[in-house]
Amino acid sequence: MNWKNILLLISINRKASRVMQRNSFRRYRDSKAVTYSLYGLACLIGISVGWLAGSFYNGITDQAARDSIIQSATYLFISLPTIVLLYGVVFTQMNQFRRIVKVTIQPMYWLPITWQEHTAASVLSNMLGAPLLITVFLSSAILTASIFLGLVFLSIVTVLALLTALVLASATTEIFKTTQIRLAGAITRVTGRAAIWLRLAASIMSMIVFYAVYYSIYNQATPVLLFEAVASGQNVLWFIPYVWPGMALSAFSNSLWTGTILFSLATLAFVLAVFLVATRLNMKFGFYEAPSAKISSGAYVPKVSLFERLGFSPSEVALMKKDLRAITRRHELMFIFVFPISIIVMMFFTTLRYGGSIPAGGSSLLFALITLLPGALTTPFLGSFIMGLEGENVWYLHSSPLSAENIARAKYFFVVIVDLVITLICAMVSGIIFAPSLIFAAVILIEATLLIVSLSAVSLACGFRGADYRGFFPMNRLLKPKWGLLNLVLCAVVALAIVAPVIPYFLSIASTALPIPFPLVISLPDFYVYVALVLSGVVSAFITYVFRKLVRAGAEKFRAEAEGI
Amino acid sequence: MAYSFAAKLISVSKRYSDVTAVKHIDLEVKKGEILGLLGPNGSGKSTLLKMILGLVKPDTGVINVLGVNLEADPFAVKKRVGYVPEGSYIYEFLTGLEFLDFAGDVFQMNLDEKKKRIEEFLKALDLEGREGDLISSYSEGMKQKILIISAIMHKPELLLLDEPLNSLDPKSARIVKDLLRKLASQGVATVMSTHVLEIAEAMCDRIAIMYDGQLLALGTMEDLRQRAKMPNSGLEDIFLELTGTGDVKPIVEELLR
Ligand SMILES: Nc1ncnc2c1ncn2[C@@H]1O[C@H](COP(=O)(O)OP(=O)(O)OP(=O)(O)O)[C@@H](O)[C@H]1O
Ligand SMILES: [Mg+2]
Repeated sequence: MNWKNILLLISINRKASRVMQRNSFRRYRDSKAVTYSLYGLACLIGISVGWLAGSFYNGITDQAARDSIIQSATYLFISLPTIVLLYGVVFTQMNQFRRIVKVTIQPMYWLPITWQEHTAASVLSNMLGAPLLITVFLSSAILTASIFLGLVFLSIVTVLALLTALVLASATTEIFKTTQIRLAGAITRVTGRAAIWLRLAASIMSMIVFYAVYYSIYNQATPVLLFEAVASGQNVLWFIPYVWPGMALSAFSNSLWTGTILFSLATLAFVLAVFLVATRLNMKFGFYEAPSAKISSGAYVPKVSLFERLGFSPSEVALMKKDLRAITRRHELMFIFVFPISIIVMMFFTTLRYGGSIPAGGSSLLFALITLLPGALTTPFLGSFIMGLEGENVWYLHSSPLSAENIARAKYFFVVIVDLVITLICAMVSGIIFAPSLIFAAVILIEATLLIVSLSAVSLACGFRGADYRGFFPMNRLLKPKWGLLNLVLCAVVALAIVAPVIPYFLSIASTALPIPFPLVISLPDFYVYVALVLSGVVSAFITYVFRKLVRAGAEKFRAEAEGI
Repeated sequence: MAYSFAAKLISVSKRYSDVTAVKHIDLEVKKGEILGLLGPNGSGKSTLLKMILGLVKPDTGVINVLGVNLEADPFAVKKRVGYVPEGSYIYEFLTGLEFLDFAGDVFQMNLDEKKKRIEEFLKALDLEGREGDLISSYSEGMKQKILIISAIMHKPELLLLDEPLNSLDPKSARIVKDLLRKLASQGVATVMSTHVLEIAEAMCDRIAIMYDGQLLALGTMEDLRQRAKMPNSGLEDIFLELTGTGDVKPIVEELLR
């Protein structure tokens, strides 16, 4: 392996997401300083956290307490590699998702670079960003703390184990990636409209499985217990190679030298094996195949759609149809569906834990959350991305006779309709499971609708102003980070303002379920809920009105300046 | 609407941060003519076309398109213009048919006409049987055909084509050429950039040669021959002579050393 090639590829991968901005591409300045300072910051935070923990320990005089802290710290250290592995898989997957660009999916195999080098570069670049930042933070924290705790050797070995676990996670992601491409290729060879839905369903399924595993692990216990559970769970699951880094560490902490050496060697062998498998797979299936589903072959029958009868113009309907196809067909946009699904799955696991013995108010709460959250959480993302996902194709909107009003309406109602559909589905499912009272269900549905109608306007206003059309199919930049942040803050504030009036009502229902005293909630008069609904309606209407104006202004600006062409 | 020129540009310039892409160009595109736009890479052809469509705003100068002042009413003309950009950026997650259907709706065609025109064009350009496939699986030429269809099918009065015949097979290129000539005889004006000088020579009524953002020469083949004082030459020699890139021999020899 030629490390120069690998470094080159990593730097290309790192830049893959930053496709040149046309109007300043002559002088692209890479802000290396920012990147490095992020890692420096993580390191600093880690050191201060470790230092705080250490001085806290120093301040304790009770010997028993000191011993138990050392004990917990050891558990923590031992469990960290496995935990790093878990989040490593999650975050490297996310990085991978974001990098699904032709240039990275399709390695430049015609260059004199071997597949080992391609694979190594991909594994390493997946680790950049969040996974590495967290690991840097953890490492510097435990290294600093261990000086106070007198666990320096253990912590050094822990850091090594953490890095190994991260590489292992990333290499596993690489295997996932190639298998996914392979599967997608196999699926898309199936012709017909079904293929699209099959692909969507497959992506959603894999996410469900993923979240199921995730929550079944994390729902077990409080954080401290979690470390113990992982530490002891490792011992039970020792035959799974993925816990070997943790096992090696555990043996080391107990001064079992043979065990340490055995598990360390086994870990290294396993990392190597995973890497080799990834390389093999890449060699075999690494070529990117554009999805080539035949969607229809029947006769072409243009028709007047239902929406046109509802008062939308044909071009608005055409835009909405196009966007629906975009979010259901473009693999990298599937994350839009991750929120609703993960929330439902999370709730589902929560109920499983209670095992059917939920008090009446509790099930109402669950109904409320499952109905409100998915739609309300999807809206800010869909709304702010819906312009940016035009990407390089945005020239088409600019060159066609669409008025600002056309574009604003089509985009706004598309977001509203998609989110309402998500909400309705969630409401139906959770309504059947939790059987809330009719009035409660109605209140929640009305609130959900108000939230969606307003948040769509807010996030679309941000989406118009902050859209980033750079990047090319199948990966766009979507939104400028500044606007993304602003959007989330605005949406949070607006959502709070809308639901604020019904919170007392909500608490009065909740207080029947939870054994917590709510001193603020004196029993509410029956009519309160109607007053609250009217109040939130007024707030929502006002916000929607204002932000629809801004959306309109954003659309006018979009029409006036062909940005990104 | 009565207009004397399909497009009229008066002293139009465009500057990008530190490159001036187009420098004070005056140009008149007559009704029913095919104007060929030639010039080396980076000479400003695409920028000029985008300015005529209103995608890029000129820094100075006035542009009139189909009798409408672009600055006053940039959208009034869009419906009456067809545009094919260079590089086939197109919604890859749609099928060819879905894209054309979309384009038809966006350009406000009525249902019957849309259906008829789409079917005719798909057939004429040999795309029948593939119209239900995702565009992401199309070849370059197939994407280009879809773009050309979507630019022509709504019967525009002015066509702005940026290297339209690139990557088309000979038969399709021939069909598109004949189509453009036919449209020209019906009064449709076309401005077309190309690097293929034979195409320009054979198809275009007039040829504009751009160099470094300026209009070096404009006229019929005969005008250009006179201008270059090369009475019996073909367009290639004239082009190389006018753009000052005539003597390529030493360059080639240098490269082979
Ligand atoms: N968005 C932009 N930002 C900055 N500079 C640009 C941009 N678009 C074009 N240019 C510059 O303007 C000049 C003219 O570009 P243009 O695309 O019009 O050339 P062209 O004649 O179409 O070239 P080609 O034959 O290669 O297509 C070039 O120097 C180019 O670098
Ligand atoms: Mg060009």
